[in-house]
Amino acid sequence: MSGNDINRRNFLKVMGWGGAGVALSGCDMPTTVTLEEGKETVVSYIMPEEYVIPGQGVYFASTCQQCSAGCGVHGRVREGRVLKLEGNTESPINTGKLCQMGQSGVQAHYNPDRIQKPMLRKGGALVEVTWEEAAAALADKTGKDSSLNGGRAAWLTGTVSGHQSVLLQAHLEALGSSRHYTHEVINNAVATQVNQDMFGEVQPTYHVTKAKVVLSFGADLVGTSMSPVHFSREHTKFRSAPRGVLIQVEPKMTLTGGNADLWIAAKPGSEGVLAMGIANELLAKHGLSGDALPGGLRDSIASYNTDKVVEITGVAKTKIVEVAKVLAERSPSLVLTGASTEAHEHGYQSVAAAMMLNVILGNIGKTITSSGEFPFPQLTAKRGDMKGLLAFAEHADKGEIDVAFFYGVNPVYTAPKFLNLEQKLDKIPFKVVLTQFYDETANRADLVLPLASALEDWGTHVPGYLPEDKIISMQQPLMEKLYKETHGLGDVLLSLLKMRKPEEYEGFADYYAFLREAFAAIPSDHKGGVGDEKFWMQALQFGVIPVNVAERSIKPTPIEADLPALKEDISYPFYLVPSAHLGLWDGRHANLPWLQEAPDQISKVVWGSWVEMHPKTAARLGVENGEFVRVESMQGSIEAPLYTHRGIHPNAVAVPLGQGHEEYGRYAKGRGVNPLKILNPVTDEKTGEPALYGTRVQVAKAPFDEKQKMVRFGGSETQVGRKLVASITADVFNRTEGA
Amino acid sequence: MKRYSNRLYEGLKRISLGSAALLVVFAAVPGTGWAEVPNAVAPKGAHAGDDVPQPIEFPHDVHAKINQINCMYCHTYARRSKVAGIPPTSKCMGCHTIIATDKERIKKLTEYWESNQSPPWKKVHDVPDYVHFTHEKHLDRFLFSNEGMDVERVSEVCAFCHGEVKEMTVAKKVKSLNMGFCRRCHEANDGPSDCWKCHK
Repeated sequence: MSGNDINRRNFLKVMGWGGAGVALSGCDMPTTVTLEEGKETVVSYIMPEEYVIPGQGVYFASTCQQCSAGCGVHGRVREGRVLKLEGNTESPINTGKLCQMGQSGVQAHYNPDRIQKPMLRKGGALVEVTWEEAAAALADKTGKDSSLNGGRAAWLTGTVSGHQSVLLQAHLEALGSSRHYTHEVINNAVATQVNQDMFGEVQPTYHVTKAKVVLSFGADLVGTSMSPVHFSREHTKFRSAPRGVLIQVEPKMTLTGGNADLWIAAKPGSEGVLAMGIANELLAKHGLSGDALPGGLRDSIASYNTDKVVEITGVAKTKIVEVAKVLAERSPSLVLTGASTEAHEHGYQSVAAAMMLNVILGNIGKTITSSGEFPFPQLTAKRGDMKGLLAFAEHADKGEIDVAFFYGVNPVYTAPKFLNLEQKLDKIPFKVVLTQFYDETANRADLVLPLASALEDWGTHVPGYLPEDKIISMQQPLMEKLYKETHGLGDVLLSLLKMRKPEEYEGFADYYAFLREAFAAIPSDHKGGVGDEKFWMQALQFGVIPVNVAERSIKPTPIEADLPALKEDISYPFYLVPSAHLGLWDGRHANLPWLQEAPDQISKVVWGSWVEMHPKTAARLGVENGEFVRVESMQGSIEAPLYTHRGIHPNAVAVPLGQGHEEYGRYAKGRGVNPLKILNPVTDEKTGEPALYGTRVQVAKAPFDEKQKMVRFGGSETQVGRKLVASITADVFNRTEGA
Repeated sequence: MKRYSNRLYEGLKRISLGSAALLVVFAAVPGTGWAEVPNAVAPKGAHAGDDVPQPIEFPHDVHAKINQINCMYCHTYARRSKVAGIPPTSKCMGCHTIIATDKERIKKLTEYWESNQSPPWKKVHDVPDYVHFTHEKHLDRFLFSNEGMDVERVSEVCAFCHGEVKEMTVAKKVKSLNMGFCRRCHEANDGPSDCWKCHK
């Protein structure tokens, strides 16, 4: 409104004097919006498609690639541009819904920081080259006539599935290598190992809606679970009448914790003991049968009497008794685990103890069922984890890798400092990074191949977690590529394969041609009685391909949980919680302004990092809200403003994942801190998975006097006595309104 | 009677010689043509728009006036969408591979067509992004669902907001198309007055 004499007050005065008539005549005044004639170009079609009507949207089905949950999307396309993404109602994963990360897919696509041309390292610096030059460099280093010992080539990827995974495996096979490392920061590697050992399959199906109680040891159902939208939907149904009871055990309140009926902050790392204590209550006080458990385990449970559990976990006895009572009275129930329980030194044991509760409570076959035999094992998800990165780093360090391809990962950002990854990467002579953005890993690459966005690419996906109805999810381009010199993953893989096995792959003009042939090869009993062409068209139209799976049942074999006592550390008294939230995820979305702008669901902080601490702890340390504090582990320190909240264990300090990028475009670079950097080299003893929640830290006021305002949405935690939402205590309610 | 007509003719001639803009104001007065659209009150007000040079000086007069081509023949999306649409180049070439191929303008058009490009037309009429305007609804109200109105006379409805385009070569903005303009017309014609009808 600058340059205009009407401010709000004058506008209201005008309104008051003359009413609507005067106000409307004000509408003829020159506006601050310039709609100058002849400044904008309006380009017509040369030859329009028949179905195109300018100004009207056409919808295409595809698959979201913002995390590995594989939600189906509908993209609204107008005048050849995708404008909006919504959930695909045909997909059983998200049934028409889409989370904020999915909605932001268009920002990953239209992002101004996308790489538009390949880059090759020449004389120490990355310079833009043509695809021909990039391909020549690839052929020179990895082609069949190159001097490469194929067994020394490796792929480090995020979770991959579908036909891209098939081509990737084919490329490794063509190289004669078995080095496929998969890496995801937010994973459930420990839980899948327990599932495998206990239930005989990596990922059974969880029926949240069939449960009357859900006891969640850190499973962030409505946030960063393995399938965020799916479990949010399940949670909503579970909480509608008849309302299920949700009990959440975690060191730092997640959005799920904030919605729970009972939120319990057990001492970090003691969740398994709490599970044993609840088991003991169930067997001893509520007469549940422990017959399905091995004798040793029964004895072990018996040793965790409630008083001992109170002492170890710090959870009030009344709460333990109450949780056991609710579980015993309401059947079936469901016990789930999440990162805050899994990612500890003895995470495997804790998860085993928690999952054992499902056996005692008779939930197997009711709320936990087998996911059956997926008929196309080659298409199923290759799940990423942290230990994949560890193995990669180790092998790189030993000089076992000569050529490395990176896709869907940014290890230079996600690797903890103790891993010394940068140095180890230097031992790999030729590093090829396939990416849309110039991130920390691209910065250290020898060749950067610019990828087409997820909305410009072909693909098929089989997510790691599939609900009851099994599907293959279809990805198709929603519009023409924005930049000519970007290529889809499938196309890059095909060109790599043509360099190794031209005779086998020359026949495929592009990845689309490969997919068409692969679809034709799907056995007809999976095609619902339609021909190849119609099957393909249906896949494009609906975005999902229903898959029949052979049924199985689960016969659980409970594992004896051996829970060692928690070690105290006087110098580093706090546990670091590298908390994840549905937004920046593991940092991959820090370059999307919508997600930077979307407040954290608990702290409401935007565009930055913070350190979350219990007000009592903050008071003890003499630090105040908004002041900079230093969080220091044996590996290093980070500083961020303090945010106090009672939804955190007094012995825990949370720093959110996602910020602290040194590269990754204008929106991400140089903003906040990355807690992954200061993780200690602690791993889960059984699985070898790094214990993300197992790092001990000390906290103090930062040694500098910088005041930087932490930007928060909302601002006040209290109603400042205004009674906006009136409340009374349960006691008063029961006395005055209750039965 | 005859004398009076002559005087009016002379007067109009003087005005047209004097100021094109003034003529536009004059033409906007109801009763000089569009009042014939039944069940409608033509919007008032004028705007002295800029001359907008186009890549090809498209003669609206030749098409719409001399050759009597219906506006919706080229702006075919007007009845089906928010936007009226600039005709696809293929539509121009539908006629101009045969008609008037020797004219400079057509030669230029053919050049665009053969190099697989569309002429980079400049936008003349626009409303801000926070205004939802749809051609479809307006054409329905004043043309297709308007009793006593004939599709052949669509140009009279277009002229409500675009002026006498068939008298122009390249289009020029002669109506302000601001909120006051829209509101007055909505009031006169009993159009919706909810804020969110236009600001959604």
